[in-house]
Amino acid sequence: MTVGDTASRSINVKSLLSKYAIVWVTLLVFIFLSSSTDAFLSADNLRNILDQQSVVLIVAAFTTIVLISGGFDVSLGAIYILAPLVALRVQNNINSAWLTLLAGILVGLIAGLLNGVIVAYGRINSFIATLATSFIFFGIAYLVSDGTILRVTDITMREVATTRILGLTSATWIAFVVVAIAWVMLDRTRFGRYIFSVGGNFEAARLAGVRTNRVVVAAFVLAGAGAGLAGTLNSIRSVTAQASDDFSIIFSVIAAVVVGGTSIAGGSGAIWRSVVGVFFIAFIVNGFNLNGVDPVYQRIIQGAVILTAVGADAWSRRDKS
Amino acid sequence: MDLEVRSVSKRFGATIALDNVNLKIASGTIHSLIGENGAGKSTLGKILSGVYQLDSGEVELAGQAVTIGSPREALSRGITIIAQELSLVPSRNAADNVYLGIEDHAGPWVRRGVIKDRFEELTKTSGITVPNDRPVSALSIGDQQKVEILRALARNAEVIVMDEPTARLSVEETAVLKDVMRSLRDQRKTIIFVSHFLGDVLDVSDAITIMRDGKIIRTSKPSDETHDSLVEAMTGRKAGDAFPAKTPPKSPAPVLEVNGLTRGMQFADISFTVGAGEIVALAGLVGSGRSEVARAIYGADPFDSGEVKLQGSVIKISHPATAIENGIVMIPESRKDQGLILDRSIRENISLPYLKKLSQLLMKRREENSMVAENFAAAGIRALSSEMTVRSLSGGNQQKALFARSLAGHPTLFIADEPTRGVDVGSKRAIYELLADLAQKGMAVLVISSELDEVVGLAHRVIVMQTGRIVAELVGDQISESAVVSAAFSMKQREGLAS
Repeated sequence: MTVGDTASRSINVKSLLSKYAIVWVTLLVFIFLSSSTDAFLSADNLRNILDQQSVVLIVAAFTTIVLISGGFDVSLGAIYILAPLVALRVQNNINSAWLTLLAGILVGLIAGLLNGVIVAYGRINSFIATLATSFIFFGIAYLVSDGTILRVTDITMREVATTRILGLTSATWIAFVVVAIAWVMLDRTRFGRYIFSVGGNFEAARLAGVRTNRVVVAAFVLAGAGAGLAGTLNSIRSVTAQASDDFSIIFSVIAAVVVGGTSIAGGSGAIWRSVVGVFFIAFIVNGFNLNGVDPVYQRIIQGAVILTAVGADAWSRRDKS
Repeated sequence: MDLEVRSVSKRFGATIALDNVNLKIASGTIHSLIGENGAGKSTLGKILSGVYQLDSGEVELAGQAVTIGSPREALSRGITIIAQELSLVPSRNAADNVYLGIEDHAGPWVRRGVIKDRFEELTKTSGITVPNDRPVSALSIGDQQKVEILRALARNAEVIVMDEPTARLSVEETAVLKDVMRSLRDQRKTIIFVSHFLGDVLDVSDAITIMRDGKIIRTSKPSDETHDSLVEAMTGRKAGDAFPAKTPPKSPAPVLEVNGLTRGMQFADISFTVGAGEIVALAGLVGSGRSEVARAIYGADPFDSGEVKLQGSVIKISHPATAIENGIVMIPESRKDQGLILDRSIRENISLPYLKKLSQLLMKRREENSMVAENFAAAGIRALSSEMTVRSLSGGNQQKALFARSLAGHPTLFIADEPTRGVDVGSKRAIYELLADLAQKGMAVLVISSELDEVVGLAHRVIVMQTGRIVAELVGDQISESAVVSAAFSMKQREGLAS
């Protein structure tokens, strides 16, 4: 008995180390920056990081769900651009912050529905399908904005993103709520179980009576809605939006989700992993900025760090099997 | 080149696949390895051909102890395996596949003419002919197998391990393959024939080695054996008592009634019933349409015409979810590809079809746990906890997890497709008892199986299919292995279709 006990305990320690590896590494980065860089551990800096990452967290939460379901959505970058343009048109007519956000969410929802239907019922590989719809969404973005810069006409509207509540911005709080919703959905609801089963073994899930196509559509709809919300929140904060805005958020999001340890093969992952992944990358970028590292090198190093993190994870998994 | 295996052992985790095995295989013979699933016959074949490495013991080739660390090393010593899953490049023709990796070339350019000449020479000397004018994906399974054999010969293989080569072949193709095997033997090649099909084994072998639970029971000549003597040695029981006693169904009322079910090229005009408390077996060769019929009833695939009645009323089933709601459950043919979410827990795998009942806004974990615990026990799963991943279970326990899932639906119709495939002997018996028990409780049970003893041992009624049609229905005393085989192989149907 005792031999077995120690054996299982050492396995537990090992699995604690490997299962939460990304957490330990992120903590190490945090501790290292806290001790090496004066400005890092200040309330202002941390509040800023949270505020900047709020939109990334919102997109990452539901991207995680899409990835676990076995899908991939690159069109979230385009939705992130398109949704605020439609939303600002709405704002220009109806001066309500909440209705503007709602409009942005709705656009994302419809775009996600299109993605989901194409992937589930059209049986088109999700990477290719969403690559194609990206072009469509960007095209519509130019149509909606006439290629011009749209502006929020009422500056007070920014408060929906910038109001301080308990020291944090409202955008941060919105992100926390979205992450919590995604977390509960994935971990505590029937839908979450379906997501894991569809991503783990699509045919087995179908034969077990799971309406697999509907689950796939729902995952894309949620991801679209998340990107719509995030894009609109971002544009309200910056008071402008245009079709040629930076859509590279999708790359940061996928990098964060994958660094966190959610498998792009589907069937495994967790919301907390993506949250940790987001902060892992955010801390590193912040550390570079505070230490005045040239942004050109920042990107190169960032890419290398992501490869290392994902590679280490893949390597440790291979070791197990 | 005589081959000798000395005290070879092999473990997979906690399972002992080979336990101190000693065996001599004479050069220029067809030597069969038989045994139940998990007996170790495939493992032995794979060790000889370098797919697996032995844990202890040694292999001697022509009197010399050799290491076989990889399939490549095995091949360099003249040993190769033709696996159950063929490994051809589907889009290339036969010659390209045969010489893949050993092409004649001038610098980077492949000398196609030379390859073609060598291919023709090889088919002439071996007497094995296959069409070379089309990609191998357009060839029949039998011809694809011949390409694999030619590939082995092109690499100067002296010993060829064939793992279940006839499992996916038609009768005619099996006969052709047996001729090829005999002619290879006459060319002094050694063939190690791993098979479930005792008739073929008795017919073609020079020696038969019977294995059970990783050990060799005996090696003998086919003239000293009969079908029953082989079965007895394989199972360690008198043929017949491997199955629970059949209890006659109480009421004849049909639970399932299928009328004229038809789908495209796969099956046509299928009509049969399954009564309460009755075990009906759908038998026939692989590809005869058995699984397709079951899948159509379950809503996994659509059908073109015909109707399915459950307890007297016609039901429309367009998705497995509807089937489950109507009290129909199915254990699919391949538990890994179609049955289980391997990386999720036993609990989540069992409760998956019933989550609507087990959740409102959130999952009701307490109700889920009690449902899982109840059926975990009923199916006799052996695992430390239901939180273990299904992947960590043995084949038999994985299959029982599927039984637990199905039982949890309190079904009226229970469909099991190849319920004991890849399952150890002990679990097999447990699964037979589960099925018999279900019938005794009044469920209608439809079993699909390629294992004849299973069909004969379990079923109250046997429906035999051939090329998508029902060709025979056997009841009571009519049920025997020979009756099922002769119906499955009867030429009536084919002639009928041809004319």
